[in-house]
Amino acid sequence: MKNIALLLVICCLFQVFSCKKDSQSEKFKLLTGPVWTSDSLLVNGEDASGPGELLENFKGDVKFNEDYSGNFGSYTGTWSFAFDETQIVISSDSLPLPLTAIIAELTQSSLKITTSYTLPAAGTLNIRMTFKPE
Amino acid sequence: MRFPTVAILAALVSSAFSAAFAQTTVRGRVYDNNTMEPLYGVYVIYGNNKGTTTGMDGLYSTNPGPGKSEITFSLIGYKSSVRSVDISSDDTLELNVGLDMDFMEIGQIVVSANRQEQKIAELTVSMDVLKSSDFLKTHITDPQELINKTSGIEILDGQASIRGGSGFSYGTGSKVLALIDGLPMMSPDAGNIKWQFLPLENISQVEIIKGASSVLYGSSALNGIINFRTADATNVPNTTFFAEAGVFGNPRNMNWKWWNTPRIYSSLSFSHLQKYGNTDMGIGINLLTDNGYRKYNDESLVRMNLRLKHHNDKVKGLVYGLNINSGYTVKTDFVLWEDAAYGALKQDTGTVSLLHGTYLTVDPYISYKNSGRFTHDLRTRFQLSNNKFPVRTEDNSDGYSFYSEYQMQYNVSGFMSITAGITENYSKVVSNFYGDHTGLNIAGFAQVELDPLPHIKLVAGVRVEQNSLDEIRDKVVPIFRTGINWQVADYTFLRASFGQGYRYPSIAEKYASNTIGSIRIFPNPYIEPESGWTTEAGLKQGISIGEIKGMADISVFMSQSINMIEYLFGNYPDPVTGIFGYGFLATNVEDARVYGSEIEFDLGRMFGKFNTTLSGGYTYIYPVEFNKATHQNSDIYLKYRRKHAVLLSLNTAYKRFDLGFSLFAKSKILNIDDVFLNELTREEILPGFYDYWQKHNTGYFTMDCNAGYKISNVLTLSVAVKNLTNTEYMGRPGDIQPQRNYSIRLAGNF
Repeated sequence: MKNIALLLVICCLFQVFSCKKDSQSEKFKLLTGPVWTSDSLLVNGEDASGPGELLENFKGDVKFNEDYSGNFGSYTGTWSFAFDETQIVISSDSLPLPLTAIIAELTQSSLKITTSYTLPAAGTLNIRMTFKPE
Repeated sequence: MRFPTVAILAALVSSAFSAAFAQTTVRGRVYDNNTMEPLYGVYVIYGNNKGTTTGMDGLYSTNPGPGKSEITFSLIGYKSSVRSVDISSDDTLELNVGLDMDFMEIGQIVVSANRQEQKIAELTVSMDVLKSSDFLKTHITDPQELINKTSGIEILDGQASIRGGSGFSYGTGSKVLALIDGLPMMSPDAGNIKWQFLPLENISQVEIIKGASSVLYGSSALNGIINFRTADATNVPNTTFFAEAGVFGNPRNMNWKWWNTPRIYSSLSFSHLQKYGNTDMGIGINLLTDNGYRKYNDESLVRMNLRLKHHNDKVKGLVYGLNINSGYTVKTDFVLWEDAAYGALKQDTGTVSLLHGTYLTVDPYISYKNSGRFTHDLRTRFQLSNNKFPVRTEDNSDGYSFYSEYQMQYNVSGFMSITAGITENYSKVVSNFYGDHTGLNIAGFAQVELDPLPHIKLVAGVRVEQNSLDEIRDKVVPIFRTGINWQVADYTFLRASFGQGYRYPSIAEKYASNTIGSIRIFPNPYIEPESGWTTEAGLKQGISIGEIKGMADISVFMSQSINMIEYLFGNYPDPVTGIFGYGFLATNVEDARVYGSEIEFDLGRMFGKFNTTLSGGYTYIYPVEFNKATHQNSDIYLKYRRKHAVLLSLNTAYKRFDLGFSLFAKSKILNIDDVFLNELTREEILPGFYDYWQKHNTGYFTMDCNAGYKISNVLTLSVAVKNLTNTEYMGRPGDIQPQRNYSIRLAGNF
């Protein structure tokens, strides 16, 4: 009996003290490192960053902060990874729905994300946004 | 009445000493007159504070010496009983004594808090106890309704939340663990509670721990546990039954009335407990049909249970047995309404789905409690939970699990005991809906209980648990709990506790992929476990003011959730095709905190010949998101929580009559999913809901009442009216609760 209790305590202590503080992943470092600036903002292959166009507000600087807050063009909100860091979710009170996008490329020199919306009036909108470090 | 420890010890020593000279013995069993359960820790006192106390099985043996003497049986919370005995030298007298509750609920015995029998006042955590007599009078046949009408608990469409610890996740991934006789009864696929299969027809009491309980009960006990304890047979055979019929009245909004023939519900219940030699037997059956007050939302149910317990006559303390619970239901769940104007009580035909559900648990067990310091328990449960959809066969799901636990208790000395055990739960799900999966959960736990000083009890426990799904192992998780209880005065108990909780995502949260009406569910195989902790301080006070007897309990608490799992609406890519679509995805959303306080009371008084009780509670919570980066609370309320909840219950009995009223008041829901409010989505999912919500999310007040007449010593006729005020109110979005309904019941007990 004493041995079982002792074993449990040792296991727990080992577990507690062997836990390192979670280190951030390589993708996290790549994403939060630079200030990104929009390079191309496309809807169905055509630029949509002009005045009054769908992606106008994503134009400009984008910063993913380490505390999961961020500035995304003229949007302010929060971001998070999803699906084993293959997707990114951007939430903002100014967005009607959180933007969930697939990370097509994330390197030191390039960030490319894609998503798609189906709207009753406009059909399917395939969105592709690319960013470069400032 | 209470006696100093020293006096008791002196009495025991004295008793033992005198026993060496005279062999006169008085022995027997002390039990609760209401439940017939054995009472532990009863002082059996004669002469000048000489005597003994009863053991766990309520048995005692003492030696008052030859001749006449008076023996007093006393226990906190019970009326003392004095018996005169006249015993000859070298004689033995059997004296079984039943004690009546003294409105002082603090003396009742519970098992769930520390996996052993204890007085509720001496616990370090908050616990509510519901007796079967409480819900028989009020015509409650649905365990969901029973729990929902308990202080500090809300059930939204099957999802239980204790003190705001849980939101609403469309029925999956319960953070409250339901148990039958201490063994978990969660479904292996959705991780939800199969409420309709809980054996209410044969319940001794329901014990609810309010707060993280994972150290003793593992994953899913993140927000607390609800333990349904079935009743044991006693020396006197006991049979209970009832037949009930009810009808729903008209809704307050007559535009919603869609029926021309009355909407009726009925149920039959039977239970019998009896001892045959060394074998205890119990059997229970329940039949229910409910036409429902909503279109395409009805149910037929049959439920049966069997209990067999054998006391080995050769090896004292060796007990083994078998419990079986089973049920079969044919039902149509309610998902979405047609519209708010005329169709709030009609289900959108796109979400209608007939379900044939089967549930079976088979629990063989063996227990050995010798006269020494050890007790050993080996208990197992095979569980089967099948969902068959005759029309939507692609949603069929078969879940199987095999749970086993070994627990040992060791009384090291008079002031220290250790409880330790190991558990295993293997589960298998075969389903087109979820895919086929196997899971294995293995855990070890240990807990030390100390009485270092008179009137002080300390508890500390640890659990180590590992979960694997489809042979992919998760990390080993250690969690801890600790607590203290200090009996400050005769009827005053202070407590404080801290406990951690943990929950692995259910298979549904990871793998469910489906479309129900206009709602699409996306799988999220990468979702992480959620965890958290609860801390609280409380005071339990026995009350004796003039003729008013009872107890009050006040607590302040705080809980934190880490990586909380909720379903979020969004525009997500299909994991197979990559094509984006709108729907729900189980997501680790944020950290969260709930601060709160709770007051509960239970008072009784005789007004002439009217035996009257007043009980109730008030719960206040402040539930907010917690920013883990800044370590600050945000000002965003958690979803599906209410700040205030009040419950009051008044009952009185006069000769053959009894009458009761229950009042429920809850404040508005603070926050709900954005999908129901967002102008892009709200009309598509719940037509008319937004405007309805803006007008009607104001909180509500309802009242139930019941009256009974004892026709004979066996039969009681009673009526009940639920939602007497015919209040129109809603649970989760689109889930209008029952309007006024009436029932009549003929019940028997012999």
